[in-house]
Amino acid sequence: MAGANLIYGLGMMEMGVTFDYGQLVMDNEFARMINYCVNGIPVTDETLSVDAIKEVGSFNDFVTRKETFEHMRSISHPKLIDRRVREKWEAQGSTNIYDRSIEEAKHILARHTPPPLSDDARAELKAIVEETESHLGVEKTRPEF
Amino acid sequence: MRRNIHAGKLGSGGFSLNTLTDDELYEIHLATLEVLEKTGIFVEDEDALEIFHANGAKIDKKTKIVKLPPYIIEDTLRSAPPKFVMAGRRPEDDFVVENNRVGFTNFGEGIQLNDLDTGELRAPTKMDVGMSAKLGDFLSEISVYNRAMGAHNVPAEVAPVHNAEAIFNNTTKHVMIGPFSGYLARQIVKMAQVVAGGEQALRERPLVSFHTCPVSPLRLVQDTCEVIMESAKAGMMVNIITMAMAGASSSIHLAGTLVDHNAELLASVALSQLTVKGAPIMYGSSTTAMDLRFATATVGAPECAMINAAVARLARFNSLPSFVAGG
Repeated sequence: MAGANLIYGLGMMEMGVTFDYGQLVMDNEFARMINYCVNGIPVTDETLSVDAIKEVGSFNDFVTRKETFEHMRSISHPKLIDRRVREKWEAQGSTNIYDRSIEEAKHILARHTPPPLSDDARAELKAIVEETESHLGVEKTRPEF
Repeated sequence: MRRNIHAGKLGSGGFSLNTLTDDELYEIHLATLEVLEKTGIFVEDEDALEIFHANGAKIDKKTKIVKLPPYIIEDTLRSAPPKFVMAGRRPEDDFVVENNRVGFTNFGEGIQLNDLDTGELRAPTKMDVGMSAKLGDFLSEISVYNRAMGAHNVPAEVAPVHNAEAIFNNTTKHVMIGPFSGYLARQIVKMAQVVAGGEQALRERPLVSFHTCPVSPLRLVQDTCEVIMESAKAGMMVNIITMAMAGASSSIHLAGTLVDHNAELLASVALSQLTVKGAPIMYGSSTTAMDLRFATATVGAPECAMINAAVARLARFNSLPSFVAGG
């Protein structure tokens, strides 16, 4: 909220020592919730909803109103934070957020394929790594990545 | 019912946090100028010393202390760009950094991790570097990818280029990386040129930027000087991350810690701008307080949040993009 351009820290535990895949996925969701808050409360004639409040009065509700339906996607919708009541959470296996985040990380890594570099570019990157190894006189290693 | 338009209504445009007033910011600025002029800052690299000397700073060749008159600081602050784009491989990955636009990135660089399958605590491999980049590539709130870990199954001397290879292959987002030396920064720039499609293409769309950390109190060590100068020459952004610890390597008072942090930052800006005028540079911070009972750097503490909120404000006071610790 202080207006920092890049806030770092997602995915790490223990004062910046230990990385955790589940923590990264979890922190991504927390960052989304923070951004939701920073976005603030827009105050306009439409959002002040005076006409709707007058129409609903004291004994109706807003659930079935057209604008509720139209804007329902604009409210925060976490994927990993569980907002259900205890009975429903227990019925679904009483999982904790960390385990759900680890599953989500595995799910993403199994399905997400960033656009690959060309074969030539890959070979050139490898050549620069080898050139650096020769220049600094260290052992050449080719671990998978 | 008709509700006519307002003739100029002030809106908040979102939630915000006020930290320091203009008077307080100016006081921190003046205190910083005094420290840089009277006490100076240790500059380890010979070329950096020469650059400061040629531009009017008082240098002591024996102690390597550089004393910077206020005009050098004011001039170099003015030439540093107030905004830039951290470009990705594709235009849709570009991240605009300016004023108070807020984004997030992951932490770097972890020296161990919890294995994804077994939960075992172990050293990261090049595979983990690639996997974390791939996960960061997917996640919506990761504005740019900061290398989360370094590969420990390659020789440490060349780990940054192995990390860069694993990362460039697994994300199209902008990459922030710690190169450890001027030579390795040059090698990573060469790799980024391959990804971008040539030297000119990379200068137009810089898809990599470098981190470097001064040592508190008041030391621009060898690799920090090299990385600042190499980044400026290559036209890649450099993010200066101060790591002062209130109560240990800087004042127990948070205001005094901000002065130390600011002095290291502004001296780095001066070196960058005197190397290449207009070179992009970021006002970073990992500064926090030391828990004097346990001798630990407390990154989840109220002091960390307060210091880094103040750092964001100081960055805007200096018209520089900011990079701060979120804990």
